[in-house]
Amino acid sequence: MGSGLQAITGTARFESFLATGDALTALAERTAEVDGIVSAAASEVLLAEMPSGIAVMAVGGYGRRQLFPYSDVDLLLLVDSERGAAEHKASISAFLQRLWDSGLRISQSVRTPMECAEVHDHNAELNVSLLDQRFLTGDRALYASLAEKLPRFVQSNRDALVRNLARLSRERHAKFGNTFYHLEPNVKETPGGLRDYQLVCWLSQLRDASGGRIEAAEMAPELDQAFRYMAKLRFFLHCQSNRDNNVLSFDAQDAIAEQWNGGDTARWMRDYYRHARAIHRAAIRDLERVEAGFSSLLTQFRDWRSRLANADISVHRERAHFRTPQRLEVEPELALRLFEFTARHGVRPSFEAEQQIAARMSRLPAQFAGMDGLWRALETIFELPHAPLAVRSMHETGVLTALFPELAQIECLVVRDFYHRYTVDEHTLVAIQNLWEVAGPFRDLRSEITRPAPLLFAMLFHDSGKGNPSEGHVDGSGKLAQSAAERIRMPAPDRDLVLFLIRMHLELSSVMQSRDVFDPQTVEELARQLETVERLKLLTLVTYADISAVNPSAMSPWRAEHLWQVYMMIYNALTRELETDRISVAGAEEGAETVSPRERAEFLAGFPKRYLRTHTEAEIAAHMALEAQSRARGAAVEIRRLESAWQMTLVARDRPGLFAGAAGTLASFGMNIVKAEAFANRRGVVLDTFTFEDPMRTLDLNPSELDRLRTLAERVIAGRADVRALLRNRPKPTLPSRKAEITARVSFNSEASGTATLIEIITQDRPGLLYDLASALSSDGVNIEVVLIDTEAHKAIDVFYVTAEGKKLDEARRQRLGEALRKACGPAA
Amino acid sequence: MKKIEAIIQPFKLDEVKEALKGIGIDGMTITEVRGHGRQKGHKEIYRGQEYNVDLLPKVKLEMVIPSNRYEEVLKTVTAAARSGKIGDGKIFVYDVAEAVRIRNDDRGETAL
Repeated sequence: MGSGLQAITGTARFESFLATGDALTALAERTAEVDGIVSAAASEVLLAEMPSGIAVMAVGGYGRRQLFPYSDVDLLLLVDSERGAAEHKASISAFLQRLWDSGLRISQSVRTPMECAEVHDHNAELNVSLLDQRFLTGDRALYASLAEKLPRFVQSNRDALVRNLARLSRERHAKFGNTFYHLEPNVKETPGGLRDYQLVCWLSQLRDASGGRIEAAEMAPELDQAFRYMAKLRFFLHCQSNRDNNVLSFDAQDAIAEQWNGGDTARWMRDYYRHARAIHRAAIRDLERVEAGFSSLLTQFRDWRSRLANADISVHRERAHFRTPQRLEVEPELALRLFEFTARHGVRPSFEAEQQIAARMSRLPAQFAGMDGLWRALETIFELPHAPLAVRSMHETGVLTALFPELAQIECLVVRDFYHRYTVDEHTLVAIQNLWEVAGPFRDLRSEITRPAPLLFAMLFHDSGKGNPSEGHVDGSGKLAQSAAERIRMPAPDRDLVLFLIRMHLELSSVMQSRDVFDPQTVEELARQLETVERLKLLTLVTYADISAVNPSAMSPWRAEHLWQVYMMIYNALTRELETDRISVAGAEEGAETVSPRERAEFLAGFPKRYLRTHTEAEIAAHMALEAQSRARGAAVEIRRLESAWQMTLVARDRPGLFAGAAGTLASFGMNIVKAEAFANRRGVVLDTFTFEDPMRTLDLNPSELDRLRTLAERVIAGRADVRALLRNRPKPTLPSRKAEITARVSFNSEASGTATLIEIITQDRPGLLYDLASALSSDGVNIEVVLIDTEAHKAIDVFYVTAEGKKLDEARRQRLGEALRKACGPAA
Repeated sequence: MKKIEAIIQPFKLDEVKEALKGIGIDGMTITEVRGHGRQKGHKEIYRGQEYNVDLLPKVKLEMVIPSNRYEEVLKTVTAAARSGKIGDGKIFVYDVAEAVRIRNDDRGETAL
């Protein structure tokens, strides 16, 4: 091995670099040394044979005079013609061999000036490397002909060159998950590394190339500083490992901390991320700027987006700007309105807006601390479709830590473990993103969460305690979240939910890992801890998002399936108890905030406990309000729009045939019932919920029909209208083909519940089916205690828990009902 | 040399790994798998719909060990992976013809 590749450790240059940390001087010296070796070899071997017709040029990093100790030495041998090069092949080979022998790792190309002035779509690196070319030795006139061509070439092919460069950069970013928060980053290739710094330089050179010159790019001081920092790391890594190694491994981090930072690795890695962030932001800003110019379609879209502007915010070039940034001085909530805009429309803040916020950063924490209605403002942001993007922008601008100084501890925090790929703050942001992008069956769970704000808040704080390693992070995170939630005056129920989710956030993973999930005891214990279906859903989503944010492959299909099974089993444990477990008056007084505890207790007494587990406090309050209305009229009905269906809730005094009547009313309107539930309390008040589809869009297209349906349902329930008469006039539904027909199956189970008989009916779904089944039951004097209705394509799966005279059904009645129900499953009469 | 392939309950993985570490066995390959033997699957009803849970999550451990240690390893894995219920898993043992350490061409048991 020659001098070039000999270990540099221990040399005077390395010692002086270690003493000063000045990589740029070391790089310039190294470049000058290699210039000498190349020029000497060229005059001895090459130019003696080829005094004209060839020029030796330095390109790429070598051309920029930034040659790292073990980087390739990029040479361009410029020849006047291909024939000339072929004739002197032996001399060129001898020259390159001499360089290899002297220990340099040469990466060469042989081109004519014409070839250099062509766009190489498949070798975009060649075009880019020429931006940093310089003459070393050889035919100066030949070089001059290229030097004259290049600026004109760049000017006339600017778009193609920029497009290729942008494509290469985006591909590289994607390889690293588009984030610079890697625990063991590659200082050259990772987003925010040296390659991105160079990208900013190149884009600026390409943009400014004119008047026959390509100028070296002028960089902002912040970027210049970041570049010096990254160059220092890379130089150290090369020297330390004696090869072209650019990965800042944990060991290397410790070595650098030892060398220059008093051994405090965590602190100086924060410096690393700060510099990487500066470079990455500049690179993304410039990439977006050039990409925006590519597509006219994109331009049209951009113009469309500008119409989203409002009194505070304008949109220009896909970014949100403050209309009057001066108002930030007196109105800090304006900053929050910018993020609300981002959360609503998915348009990120402009760099100018970010800088305007940054300029006021020192005053923001105090201003936020004294602000009224902060939780309301945040809640609005957290519930919008692009909330994760808004939270990320808040993090990048520092607003998040101004709002919640508790989170400063996890900023750029490296916690070393084998599985985690990102810093703690990045892991948190990715987890929040995952909550919005859940896949598979979890997507349905997510769509059922009507208020995601507490969920997002819990995710934001779930690992905040990792900044203080002296206590367990779950407890630490809980404490920080509590103080933050109290400060912003989050209502107590939301706060409790947040703290519960943080306290439990590792529970389901740990169950999957260390407990037998097929053991009923495990499941019952979890059901007891979780208490409600709503909490189960939220915790399942937290677990899904948290595991998925560890690294891109952590949520394997195997693990997702495992989690889903755990969810399903706990869900069933929470919803299956029936008669045996009733709410007592004493147990129902907790949790009441808006209504008197006594009223609440009386309303709930006698409902199955399942009711509490499957309904939120807001739903319970709505049901109670409905009950109050029903007292005057005998029945109260509410119909509301869900995301993709409708829901009818009714409260009335119990009477035979009530459930059937309500189902029949919906059928007479052509509605298709997809889910239903029925409960009765101790006072004989019935609460039925029907989720139904409106296949003809009757209610959407004719708003007045909604009132008619509601009034009619109330009349039927109160016994003032005959549902059979209504059904006689309904149109006959089209049945699916014979092939798809499902044979009706009716089965009875007296063991499933302590006090009721379970009837499971699986049959061909059709409008009016539920009415016919319920009628068959009530005609036999059977009382419907609980109903669970579901449909799967054309298959209806209806489960009734029934009693007759307060007891389970006897054999004779089961026989009789079996026949009647099978008959009811047939085509509508 | 013997190759041991153990299919165990996922929640027993840590225990088995610890037990193997206790007798000086560190090297193994772990795969997340699905399957069923006599445990069969079962049906879960979720919101009135049937979900067939016929393939259950399991973990597969593979390790190659010197022949004279395989009884000891079998005992260790069995004891650590046992809960006494159906579904605890199975262990398969194979003869291994050769092992090569790619880095330095070590052969046989020295390559393990």
